[in-house]
This record gives sequence, C-alpha cells and structure tokens, in this order.
Amino acid sequence: MQVSDKNRNVRGAVVLAVLCLVLQLALAPNVGLGNGRANFALIFASCVALQVGGTSGVIAGFVAGLLFDLSSTGPIGLMAFCLSVSSYLLGMEQRNRMAGDLGATMALFCASALGVSVVYHLAMLLVGQTSSIVDALFLRALPTALLTAVFFVPFAYYFSRVRAASGGLGAGSIRAGRLGGSRGASHLGKRGL
Amino acid sequence: MPLSSRGRQAGPTIANSRGQSSGGRALVACVAVSLVLFTLSSRMGDEGPFGVVRGAFQTVTSPVRYLGATVSLPFQGLGNVVTNLTADQATLSELQAENEALRARNVELEEAEQTAERLQGLLDLRDANNLQSTAARIISGSSDSWTTTVTIDKGTTSGVAPGMPVTSSGGVIGQVIESAATTSTVRLLTDENSSISAMVQSSRVQGMLNGSVTGELRLTLVGTDQSVQVGDVIVTSGLGGAFPKGLPLGEVTSVENSPGSLYLDIIVEPFSRTENYEEVLVVTSLTEEQRATADDIAAADAQDQQGTAGTTSSTSEGQGDGESTQ
Repeated sequence: MQVSDKNRNVRGAVVLAVLCLVLQLALAPNVGLGNGRANFALIFASCVALQVGGTSGVIAGFVAGLLFDLSSTGPIGLMAFCLSVSSYLLGMEQRNRMAGDLGATMALFCASALGVSVVYHLAMLLVGQTSSIVDALFLRALPTALLTAVFFVPFAYYFSRVRAASGGLGAGSIRAGRLGGSRGASHLGKRGL
Repeated sequence: MPLSSRGRQAGPTIANSRGQSSGGRALVACVAVSLVLFTLSSRMGDEGPFGVVRGAFQTVTSPVRYLGATVSLPFQGLGNVVTNLTADQATLSELQAENEALRARNVELEEAEQTAERLQGLLDLRDANNLQSTAARIISGSSDSWTTTVTIDKGTTSGVAPGMPVTSSGGVIGQVIESAATTSTVRLLTDENSSISAMVQSSRVQGMLNGSVTGELRLTLVGTDQSVQVGDVIVTSGLGGAFPKGLPLGEVTSVENSPGSLYLDIIVEPFSRTENYEEVLVVTSLTEEQRATADDIAAADAQDQQGTAGTTSSTSEGQGDGESTQ
C-alpha cells in the first residue's frame, strides 16, 4: 500500500499553476511562431493529468482552460472543454506517467497539443471567425502546437528526471513504497537519465 | 522488479483507491458546463456577465502583462542577431558607410526631435482642451493564436470604450474591441476580422481595408475602372462614423487587375507597427469636421452605383454575346 503526500501534491500543483498563469500572461504574448502562441494552460493541465490524473486532472484542465478563455478574446468555455477532455484522456490509464519516461511523456503531450490546437481552431472556424480551413490549421493550429510542445520540454524534463527522484505532484506515491515503480524511478533519477 | 517505470501500472495507493476516480463524472460535468458557457458566450458576445468577468480578470492580471512586456522589451531586436552574425565583409563595409551617413543625419533629426517635442506639446494642449483623445501605452500583445490584438493600459475609467479608434504617431493601428476598468483590447488593422472604411488619398477612391491571417492589408471593393497606383497613400474615409476622416493607414505596395475580376487586388503596407511597444492615442470623440461629409457619402454611393452598373453592363453584354454568365 502506498501513502501519498497529498499536501505536497497540492503545494506542487499550486506552484505549477501560478507559474503557468504568469507565463501565459507575461511570456506567451511576447513569444510567437508565426501566428502561434504557446498555451501554458495546456502545459499545466497535461502535467497534472499525467502525474495525478482522474478527477483532479479533469478539474485542473477545466479551470486552466477557463482562465485561458478569460485571458483571450475568444469565446469562453471552448478551451475549458478542450482541456477537460484532453486531461481526462491523458489521465485515464495510469498515474505518474511522467516519472522517468521523458520520451513517452513528450509523445503523449505532442499528440495532446496537436489535438487540442486542431479542435480549438476548427471550433473557431465553425463559429465564423475565419473562412479558410487551411489558415486555421496550418497558420494557427500547427504553430501553436509546435510552440507549446517546445515550452513543455523543460516541464517534462523536470517531472520525468528531476522530480521523479524526489517525489511530489503525484510522484510522492512512487517514492513511498511501490516497489517496481519507485525503485525504477529512483534508480533512473540517481543515474541522471 | 522493473528497472524502468515504462509500462508501469497504477498501484493501489491510498490516494487513488479512495480519493481518486477515473474522472468520468467530473468530465461529464466539466464538458456540460463548458458547452453551456461556450454557447452562451458565442450568442452574447462580450455583452452581459461574460464581458464583466473577462474585464475584471484582465484588470486583475494587467500588472503581470505589463511586467512581461517590460521584461521582453530588450529582446525585441533579438532576431537581428543571427543576421548580424552571418553578414559578409561587403555588407559590413556598406553598413559602415551607412552608419556615417546616419550619424550626420542623426544631428539633423535631433534638431527635428526638439521641434517635434514642442509641436507635440501643442498637440497635447489641444487634446486636453478638446477632450477628443487620451494617450495610452501598449502593455501586451495577443495571448492567443487566433487574434492579432494588443492590450493598452487605459480602460473605461479613462473614458475608453469599444469602437474607439487607436492611432500611433504613424497612423491608425486599430480599434478598441473590449474595455475593462484599466485596460482595453485593441484589434489591430492586420487582424483577420479587421475592416475599415478607407480611401486613396490622391484619387479619393473609396474601399474597405481588410486584415488577413498573413498580416497583409488588402484594399477591397475598388473597381477595376478606378485609378490606384503603387505608392498611393491610404487614409481613413470617415464613413461609418467610427474613425476620423483622413488618418493615415498605409501605402499601396501592389495593384493587380486580374482578367474577369470586378475589383482590383490591392495590397497595402501599414504605416504603424506595434513591435516597439510605443505610445498610442485613443480617439474618444469626433468633431464635425472629422466626420465624413455628405459629399463623401454621395461620392461613395456614386462609386458603388458605378461598380454595380459596370457589373450589370458586363452581364448584359455577356448575355447578348450568348456567353454563360453563371
């Protein structure tokens, strides 16, 4: 049986939320790839979903998406919908996916970022914000997904390599006593992989 | 004992056996709430409670946006570093010669700057007396990939309201679309949904200046029988009542007359850029002389009717010649 340090998980999630909110408001508007802007709400939601998952992940995705909608000029609720669904899908199979598995984490996130960007921009297309599906997909959705994936790299590295060795935001349960996962993660962390 | 966490299954933890579920119920609830919010937001726009909540959120978070813009200001020219590193000797020699010429020019410009400051003081005095505009500073760009907007540090408490035009020293940069208490969102000319009544300054030909996803400005609804040349200056026409008449918008860089097309394909380079995070002016009210006159409206109607007549005429000719007009 594992004992999860819930207080530490909550602290970690709050710190991550504040960091992503500040980055979304201060950094994202000033760094662009064509028309693309990094989506730190997606990064936060994905980190929580991959580490904790379940109900917490879905609610984190919903709240992050809602804040993203409020900070932008688009319709409210669209990104909340996208992040709720993506968080559910990312967190439905297993917990602590990021621990010690950078490649798989990046692959999952890239698929999620691409899916969320495409769905978001297609929905904007459907509500009449533009008339060109090519513009929506290739000039907006793809740069957004790419830029978001780039900004996710340090988060993925931290949670999969650095944090996995010390626990937190879900990784505390690894450290606390699950033999296979805990030793594997700690082993990889100590070797600096 | 696995050496890697790959393929690891969730173990029976206290957290996930008691407090954690798969999130199915939460997903259904969140999706339902999201769809309701999305539907209401799409129908109501920024009117009502959604606009109030968004305005309050943007007011609360404006210091963070301001901080980001301030911190990123020194890095705005970072893209030039790669160009500089790869420059060859000929380019460097050319730049040195240009630098000497610019130094001489700089002395002249410093004189001109002092003159401009005095004139600016006069303009400020006139603005203060007429209460037609308010100065603001761009504090942030667009935070999403969908819109080309900037955020300025003036809102409803400063008299800024949606629909007001925004200009820089170079000309019009856009129009206020949302206003919170202390901040406002300005849709730039280059935004895909931007559309402004404009005209060619020299020939007074009228049209609509539209933004695009590629950042280009296109002057539309100008008939092929009208005269537009590369280098012509485009200004606001004042039609519609939102923008003052005669504010500079940009310069024509390309004019194409496609065979069979009713309208010219005109590309315009905007005068104003927001990359430097400059001060802007929000025009809060218009005087009578800034509005379009009855003659301007009549001229626009005449041009429109002329275009319609041309369309009808060419259609009739096509039918007379037995050609398909479908």
